[in-house]
Amino acid sequence: MESTSLAEQERILASDWGGGKSPFGTSWSKFMMWIFIISDALTFAGFLIAYGFMRRVAPAWPEQMTVFSPLLITFMTFVLISSSAVMAMAVSAARGGDPKSATRFLGLTILGGAIFLGCQAYEWVHFIQEGATLTQNPWGVPQFSAAFFVITGFHGFHVLSGLTILAIVALRAAMGKYSGDSVENAGLYWHFVDVVWVFVFAFFYLL
Amino acid sequence: MASHDHAHPAGYKQYFMTWLWLLIMTAAALVIGYFHFLPEAIKAFLLVSITLAKIFLIGSIFMHLKTERINLVMLTFSPLILSIVLFFFTFGETIGTNPTHQIQNQSPAFVMPTGEVKH
Repeated sequence: MESTSLAEQERILASDWGGGKSPFGTSWSKFMMWIFIISDALTFAGFLIAYGFMRRVAPAWPEQMTVFSPLLITFMTFVLISSSAVMAMAVSAARGGDPKSATRFLGLTILGGAIFLGCQAYEWVHFIQEGATLTQNPWGVPQFSAAFFVITGFHGFHVLSGLTILAIVALRAAMGKYSGDSVENAGLYWHFVDVVWVFVFAFFYLL
Repeated sequence: MASHDHAHPAGYKQYFMTWLWLLIMTAAALVIGYFHFLPEAIKAFLLVSITLAKIFLIGSIFMHLKTERINLVMLTFSPLILSIVLFFFTFGETIGTNPTHQIQNQSPAFVMPTGEVKH
């Protein structure tokens, strides 16, 4: 940094902020996906902060790891992180002009997402059978099950939407009608779903 | 993966290493969260740190922010910054209601969501 001249610094600044026809240096579709992800991140931020507030004002809070199965949560996290890694490889294959590998990686990503969703459905059924609803639960802390259903429900719905998008992209890749951008945009969304789960895993289940 | 490794071998290896690190950090978070051997504040600090490390890794490598322009990268920080601001707004609201931080005879009455009034 010290060795760059003022003119060089100005050139770097211009390239990053000058913009011209492409202010962010990406395709319009990728930029729109980022704008969507940022707004969606704010939605989840609102949920998690509301959850933190409810938890701090609640007189007590159930021990999450005795209510939910730590093994199941760990497995779900493992599956989602793995599917995210495979998704990154799918983008790499699609960019490298290898639709066969891209389709295969996309298939694996979809499989991971489906397993995750299945585990979540099992967790929900189990929790509901124990008597938890949106407004009350056997532990006597209504905020607990409300936060659980709203946060994991919203996240689960995102996983479901992600699976739909990935299925379309995988089908198109299998037919050879795909672009690197379309796979990458679907990938960005999928990684975002993973990022949200990282937060939920730490703040709802572990903290 | 086997037959087409030659297309992007370096990329695949980097994704594999990232995956490995994410798993290691997940395991660390699990140990910290599941076994109660740390004070609450240290546990919370470590969990937040691990979570941030994980999202930075996912963001920079899986979501390719490492190769994006700095203005797009900074744009992605806005939810995080706004979250921190919002968190500290709500944190101040709840300080008097936490039994361990309660200031006797000074905190105003607080109506619980259940209708119960706390002092």
